[in-house]
Amino acid sequence: MDRTNKTIALIIKLIFWALLIAFFVWAFANNMFSKIWEQPDTFLRLLGEHITIVLLSGAAAVLLAVPLGIFVTRPKFRKSEWLIVGIANLGQTIPSLAVLALAMGFLGIGISAAVVALFVYSLLPILQNTIAGLDSVDENMIDAAKGMGLTNAQILWKIELPNALTSIIAGVRTALVINIGTAALAYLIGAGGLGVWIFTGIRLFDNAFLMSGAVPVTLLAIVIDYLFKWLQFGLVPKGLRLARKAQNS
Amino acid sequence: MIHFNDVTKVYNGNVKAIENMNFTVEDGELVIMLGPSGCGKTTLLRMVNQLESITDGDIMLNGKSVRHSNKIEMRRNIGYVIQSNGLFPNMNIEDNAMIVPNLLGWDRKKMRDRFNMLMELVGLKPDEYRKRYPHELSGGQQQRVGVARALAADPPVMLMDEPFGALDPIIRTHLQEEFLQIQKELKKTILFVSHDIDEAVKMADKIALLKGGKMMQYAEPAKMLNKPANSFVAEFVGQDRVLKSMSLYTVRDLANALTLKPVMESPDSQNINENLSLRVAISKILNQEADQLIVENDNGTRKGSITLDLIEQFLHREIKESV
Repeated sequence: MDRTNKTIALIIKLIFWALLIAFFVWAFANNMFSKIWEQPDTFLRLLGEHITIVLLSGAAAVLLAVPLGIFVTRPKFRKSEWLIVGIANLGQTIPSLAVLALAMGFLGIGISAAVVALFVYSLLPILQNTIAGLDSVDENMIDAAKGMGLTNAQILWKIELPNALTSIIAGVRTALVINIGTAALAYLIGAGGLGVWIFTGIRLFDNAFLMSGAVPVTLLAIVIDYLFKWLQFGLVPKGLRLARKAQNS
Repeated sequence: MIHFNDVTKVYNGNVKAIENMNFTVEDGELVIMLGPSGCGKTTLLRMVNQLESITDGDIMLNGKSVRHSNKIEMRRNIGYVIQSNGLFPNMNIEDNAMIVPNLLGWDRKKMRDRFNMLMELVGLKPDEYRKRYPHELSGGQQQRVGVARALAADPPVMLMDEPFGALDPIIRTHLQEEFLQIQKELKKTILFVSHDIDEAVKMADKIALLKGGKMMQYAEPAKMLNKPANSFVAEFVGQDRVLKSMSLYTVRDLANALTLKPVMESPDSQNINENLSLRVAISKILNQEADQLIVENDNGTRKGSITLDLIEQFLHREIKESV
């Protein structure tokens, strides 16, 4: 059973890689990435804008959502959870394009509107994962810590956050990867980014523009995803990593 | 010393969990609180380190009121062991065991020495476990580390909430015996929660039997078994309470109190070491043809023989004395 599963997984992987290679061969043969070589300055500017939007909005979302998640999981403030999660949920339920449009309504055309829109959009996954992570910390562990005379702040920093870190980082990773895709829409409110080439390509039926914009966006998402895997490896305490591994095997 | 002074706990304004509790755990004593679930034993334990608030009355810990002490400082001076060990998976064994000394700001050298000493005490090799993580240890090993952690800052008082409750019977018996040895050496003042009468009889200096938030009887194990204060106590300690009480005395106790019968040579008689309990002696007598056992000391010298009659005499004498 296990072996057949492995074989199937391997075959799917091979097919995937073959398709990917075929795509790139086709793309290069037809000069699909020509825009990147022809206009390197524009490309770097658009890429820079794209990354700026994602990182600024992501950083702001982490700075708000993680403390907020800690706040609502304190027993005293637990009652505020529904309200805060509800508000964050609202940001997530509205379609991304509408959030961008709303932000433009308040802040006008430009990069700041895009940053604010994506910030609102990333709050929920980070907030929810922070809450879930902190909630999953074993009550007995906290009880033991309290009984030994750790202060609430020490329990938070030494016990709760290290044990919730895997989940929190996963939330940030999800939010950023979604944001990279959504940031392509920022072009629509005049915030630039690689969306400029994608939409130009769509309008002009020009595959070279389309691919020169779309493929770097995809690669960016993959790179960020891997980066966070490494971050998780580096930040999560070794004992937890080993425990998870032991549990899965 | 832990002194409960009219301690009362009321939930939601009218549900009485603990009613006017009065008793004292003397220095160096191991007191086990026993009772059916919901009797308030764990609540009472958690009131000592203020994990539960006290509605009325007070608990004096070495003469100081726990209600008016600094909670954090007080808890660091109380060893706390819980059933599900509560080790922190993000820390290795050394960091886990040394968490309180760490909070108290001990230096590295002192912590390392203390860790080595405590691990030897609980029967684990310090260097083998130092850098390992809780999930790599068995349940018994984890609970040993839990005990070491509670002893880390050498607190005079320890609170233990069913510390051996989650372990399988063989490991549990083992840890109970080891812990008794440790206690003999360290003489801590211990309040211990259990639901297991055998554990209580074996380990406690005194047993506090609770029901519905009230004290049913507070006495030495022998007294509780031989002279239950009321029908609830009698029922709780069990129909075989007399037999249970026999595990509290050794053959030597009997030999000191009464004169042993002379040895009658018989091929069926087995020998018994004088350090074994009377319960073992009874079991051995019933399990052989002859009706006497030959008592030996550690050197193998025969001191006389013991019969069921003699044990019965001893039993009556002890019951009378403990009244």
